[in-house]
Amino acid sequence: MTATDAGPLRRGLSGEATQFAARIAAALAVCIVLSLLSDAFLTTSNLLNVLRQTALLFLMASGLTLVILTAGLDLSVGANIGLSACLAAVAIKSTGSPWLGVAVGVGCGSLIGLLNGLLVTALRVPAFIATYGMMWLILGATYSYMGGETVHGFPPAFRQFGSGYFLGIPIPIYMMILFLLLGTLFAQRTVWGQQIYAIGANPVAARLSGIPVQRRLVLVYVVSGAMAGLASLILLARVNSAEADIGEHFTLPAIAAVVIGGTSLFGGSGTIVGTLAGALILTLVVNGMNLLQIKASWQPLVTGVIILLAVWFDIRARRSGE
Amino acid sequence: MRYLTPSLSVLAIVGLAQGALADGETIAVFTKNQTNPYFQNVRVGTEAAAKGLNVKVLQYIPTKPDSIPEQMSQVEDVIIKKPDAIVFVPVDYKALVPGVEKFNAAKIPVVNFIDRIAGGETVAFIGADDYSIAITSARHLLKAMNGTGNVVIIEGVKGSLTNVDRVRGFNDALKEFPNVKLLASQPGNYQRLAALQVMENLMQSHPKIDGVLAANDAMATGVIEALEGANRKSLIIGINGTKEAVDLIKAGKMLASGDYNGFVQGCLAMTVAVRHLRKQPVPKEVLLKPVVVDKTNYQPYETPVEQRTCPKLEELTN
Repeated sequence: MTATDAGPLRRGLSGEATQFAARIAAALAVCIVLSLLSDAFLTTSNLLNVLRQTALLFLMASGLTLVILTAGLDLSVGANIGLSACLAAVAIKSTGSPWLGVAVGVGCGSLIGLLNGLLVTALRVPAFIATYGMMWLILGATYSYMGGETVHGFPPAFRQFGSGYFLGIPIPIYMMILFLLLGTLFAQRTVWGQQIYAIGANPVAARLSGIPVQRRLVLVYVVSGAMAGLASLILLARVNSAEADIGEHFTLPAIAAVVIGGTSLFGGSGTIVGTLAGALILTLVVNGMNLLQIKASWQPLVTGVIILLAVWFDIRARRSGE
Repeated sequence: MRYLTPSLSVLAIVGLAQGALADGETIAVFTKNQTNPYFQNVRVGTEAAAKGLNVKVLQYIPTKPDSIPEQMSQVEDVIIKKPDAIVFVPVDYKALVPGVEKFNAAKIPVVNFIDRIAGGETVAFIGADDYSIAITSARHLLKAMNGTGNVVIIEGVKGSLTNVDRVRGFNDALKEFPNVKLLASQPGNYQRLAALQVMENLMQSHPKIDGVLAANDAMATGVIEALEGANRKSLIIGINGTKEAVDLIKAGKMLASGDYNGFVQGCLAMTVAVRHLRKQPVPKEVLLKPVVVDKTNYQPYETPVEQRTCPKLEELTN
């Protein structure tokens, strides 16, 4: 590696520790406030409940984090979840095999990711437009495939992915921990991971220093697609139904989890664990509003205020850390 | 494969080919989206009536669900094609008033159904009223609870017309049962996962929930999954009378669903449009009576909509 990309890289890494602490502190602050306001909040059962809900959002957002680290964007995440879930649902329903469903869901997600990656690299379409166009393509395919039908009722073996327990802890939480560890190891401890940071920090320098930029970019879109496919399976197992618009509402929350988690939209800086904190904050807000019975008409306002406060809190914490 | 249903545009072309043999008029049908099974039933209803009356049908559906600009441009497109009449669900009851005015200016008669348009000239309105469906379904649940216990309401999208009326209907029914306590009324945005997670959260602070009033069936199924996951039981009602809800009612997992009967609304709107064109008298307004589907009357709903027959207009207007 040359000095050109080692500079921003090292600064990015040393910032990660403070950044991480700040994100967790922001999430903890929300927790402390909630436990003061509601007796039901600080119970094992509710904390497991919150973590299970967080797991789904985290899985959607984790692959997307890598894309955003390269200064890219994947607007097709929600649509990808929709198509992957519908195809997996039909596969499971018609064969009864959960594993075929898993293969179809993850396969479909990865394939969409590969197409995104090729659009961005081979055809040089800006990521925003490429994935926005892809979103419409997938939505169209999903609508005409499903034709307004709902597929519901999956075998118990498959439902375990979403609603099962192991040693008293919901399965999605284990998957969240697994992908948190894998993602962090990949991003921080592998050459490929470091190259992804370098591409986001300075693509020209990255190319000049011999990093295969195009191949790494294809990789991050494939990972983002595969994670959307995986998340679609957890979603399917949890709601026990699939319909064409099942994924549509997830793109913005997933991007928000990444950005609230401290990953810069300009690329080069951020962490997977930050995304976990971002997903946790977004989930805690809804949990808290439900427990405190905030009126439905006030909920958007409260959500906005808490997100802004969390980010402001984080910016302050980082400034005082410097 | 069962799930690979032919798209409606294909059906429309088939209908066109058959209609060409008769001296059929052409009717353009506007619905809100391709995603909600409810509008699928509506379209099948219009096709069923059209077949019996020998008219051609053109379906117009925004590719982006509920898109105002897209429906507006479809309105402009269809005026050039000059169909004999329009059967119209506005994606937005206010924003599409200029669309109806364009039909008026082009002298194409419009039959409005499902969501009442806020202006413009229409031949008739066919609909079911959200408020009465909600209050009737809620009463059904509260009676099944013997008028006592704790309930929660899972609301739809805040600010949508249907949600305002449905939640008002739920609350008015609750006023008739003073021994039922409303624990919480929280938004599930008409989505499965949102409703499931809201229910998971509400179960944390409320150890005993006897009944759940969900503003649509998709949210009711989310609630059922949340309860099953926690090994808890409640009586649940939803709204729309979807196939999924009927399956759950049959399996004893759901108490009832307020039927919004999209198929019948589609039948009637098409019938009224054709009768108007053939100079037959038509009612200015038809409001369907609310029907609550439960384990005593779900059987007719098991017939796939494609195989159902349209009721006669007179049976429903009397």
